[in-house]
Amino acid sequence: MKRNICGLIAIIMVFSILAGCSSKKNDAATTADGVTTIEFWAANNPTQQAYWQEMAKAYELKNSKVKINVSVIKESPSSEATIQAAIAGGSAPTISENINRGFAAQLSASKALVPLDTLTGFSDIITARKMSSTIEPWKFADGHQYVLPIYSNAMLFGWRLDLLKELGYDTPPQTFSEILALNTKLKAKYPDKFIWAKGDLASSTAWKRWFDFFMIYNAASNGNKFIEGDKFVGDDKAGIATLQFVDDLRKNKGILAQNVADPFETSTSLFIDLGPWTFTNWAEKFPEMKYNENYTLSMPPVPDGVDPKASKTFADTKGLVIYASATKEQQAAALEFVKWVYSDPNNDAKWFEQTKLPPARDDLSTNESFKVILDKNPELKPYAENVPNAVPPMDNPKFNDLQTILGEEAWTKVVRGEIDPTTGWENAKKAIEEALK
Amino acid sequence: MKENNNRLGWFFTSPYLLYSIVFFLIPLIWSFYLSFTNWDLIAPDFQYIGFDNFVKAIKSPSVHAAFWVTYKFMLVFVPLVSVMALIVAVLVHSLPRYKSLFLVGFFLPYLSSGVVSSLIVQGFLSFNSPVNISLRKIGIHIDWLGTSWSALFIVGLILAWKFTGYYALILTASLESIDQEVYEAAAIDGVTGNQRFWSITLPLLYPGFYTTLILAFGVTFGIFTEVYQLTGGGPNFATNTWQMEIFSQAFKNLQAGYASAVALLAAIATFISIYIIRKLLEMWGARNGWV
Repeated sequence: MKRNICGLIAIIMVFSILAGCSSKKNDAATTADGVTTIEFWAANNPTQQAYWQEMAKAYELKNSKVKINVSVIKESPSSEATIQAAIAGGSAPTISENINRGFAAQLSASKALVPLDTLTGFSDIITARKMSSTIEPWKFADGHQYVLPIYSNAMLFGWRLDLLKELGYDTPPQTFSEILALNTKLKAKYPDKFIWAKGDLASSTAWKRWFDFFMIYNAASNGNKFIEGDKFVGDDKAGIATLQFVDDLRKNKGILAQNVADPFETSTSLFIDLGPWTFTNWAEKFPEMKYNENYTLSMPPVPDGVDPKASKTFADTKGLVIYASATKEQQAAALEFVKWVYSDPNNDAKWFEQTKLPPARDDLSTNESFKVILDKNPELKPYAENVPNAVPPMDNPKFNDLQTILGEEAWTKVVRGEIDPTTGWENAKKAIEEALK
Repeated sequence: MKENNNRLGWFFTSPYLLYSIVFFLIPLIWSFYLSFTNWDLIAPDFQYIGFDNFVKAIKSPSVHAAFWVTYKFMLVFVPLVSVMALIVAVLVHSLPRYKSLFLVGFFLPYLSSGVVSSLIVQGFLSFNSPVNISLRKIGIHIDWLGTSWSALFIVGLILAWKFTGYYALILTASLESIDQEVYEAAAIDGVTGNQRFWSITLPLLYPGFYTTLILAFGVTFGIFTEVYQLTGGGPNFATNTWQMEIFSQAFKNLQAGYASAVALLAAIATFISIYIIRKLLEMWGARNGWV
């Protein structure tokens, strides 16, 4: 009898502790006086966090029935892991930013996100923010919109203009063979400098392919989608040409695929993939980097015979999502907040000015609100102009696995000279098709 | 009286028992359950898929890599850390004063963040770091983190640096416990410095040494931070540890069920390996008459 009582007490203790650990988020979501509390998770970037805190405060002043708690998504070990753990643990926020299309596809496949187009007022945001064209490619295979894109970086290549001029060029070369010719001149004069120097080139981490393979591949394939739904639709010719270009550069010692600190800023590398977030860092760390003085920007190079003016690139683009675990009141309040933010183009202008990330709008290069910022920051102009030429990442829930395969089977092996481009492409294609089954 | 003692025993051990149930037993049962499903922890629907996850894991090249990489790290880390800890312990033990101060100094790396030390090493091994620039001047060009053998060695070295002070602490305590009379008796018998170390110090140090060896072997099954920060498991899975593989599957590919199966396989490999290593160390000690 005593043993049974002891066992019962032990079980009660364990379950009491577990119950104590459980979330009481939903109970606290709406307080007795009718105030709805929204948890907003912002990207782990001081400028983005400051922006959303400012917006939340301004909105709370206008709407006393809503309280918005803005906090940062922890990146330890990664923002995706933090969000996943929060959903699994029942402590997911109401709304978060910094969600890429691939991760959104994983979350939507697990029914963790609200289809935004099912919420009342979503279409008003699209109209008011003038983003009908920008958001169109974000539609998921099931026909729903799960992410509201906030910004879209048409990834560009930066070129050391000072080095180019030294080598007899006024503008960056635009085709593969022009770059190979430039490499010959570079190596003759500076054996310790490279066309492209970056440790990430040899890393098989999935997202790193966005800033090497996909930039060049999108240019070579005229923006081919690579994966459509559950099908591999990659362009063989463009894929092999992309790998061949990297292989040719490697053979001619034009690539340094090892850990190297600030290669572009220290002139170790003649060109590098650049996102507009770099300029904020440069202003603090490398103030000597001046647009059109010692560096310039271009769209990715294209294979010989392809028109460089038609070059496409990768869109580093992220957006807002609303979580299915939030209450209906929270979801509605979150959408109202977003609607309020984007009803005024000045809020997008403020975002652009503070973060240097181009708002995902169709009128970015024509709207007067942004013209002042672009005139003040001419290095942002090419990013704004190329938003329509930028292809967003795949929306497949297995994107991480698929991009890892692409790295492991093709890209990193070619970069290291372990495989020829055609075999690498065929191996990757086969493995990706297998993984998609 | 006996019943009172029993109650008191249960009372004092209950916090640890409770801790073990909540943080070890329940997660273990939970992981076992998950490993037979295709659940990603967040989807409302999932299926029981039997042994599919285990079959997939056993066939996976990255899991094969994780299995072998652990033993490769053992070959680098265990000898390095054992020799370094022994040297530190012997040197500190022979100091006339301020032993504790020196031991704290050697212990500090153990408290340091793996992320920070990895970032420092990353800067140190960068292509344009002074070290590599100097090496290139004499014709040596090594891609330290991009070459399989050097990446393994670098991670092993960081871990050895980190754990040396901790193990030296254990070995110093063992050295302190050796009765001075043994050395005095040996001195009377004419035992010299070298003989003194090999014939007296090392055998009497063996219980402490055994502990540090078991701990060191155990560490190799849990390597994560340094690999995650420095190599991401590459190049070509050359540093893909069990923890790295579990993390990638669970938090990058969102396959919690499959990751649980990998975690269980890792646990089996760990228990069997540690058991064999323990037995071998006991046999080694017994053969030399140290235990």
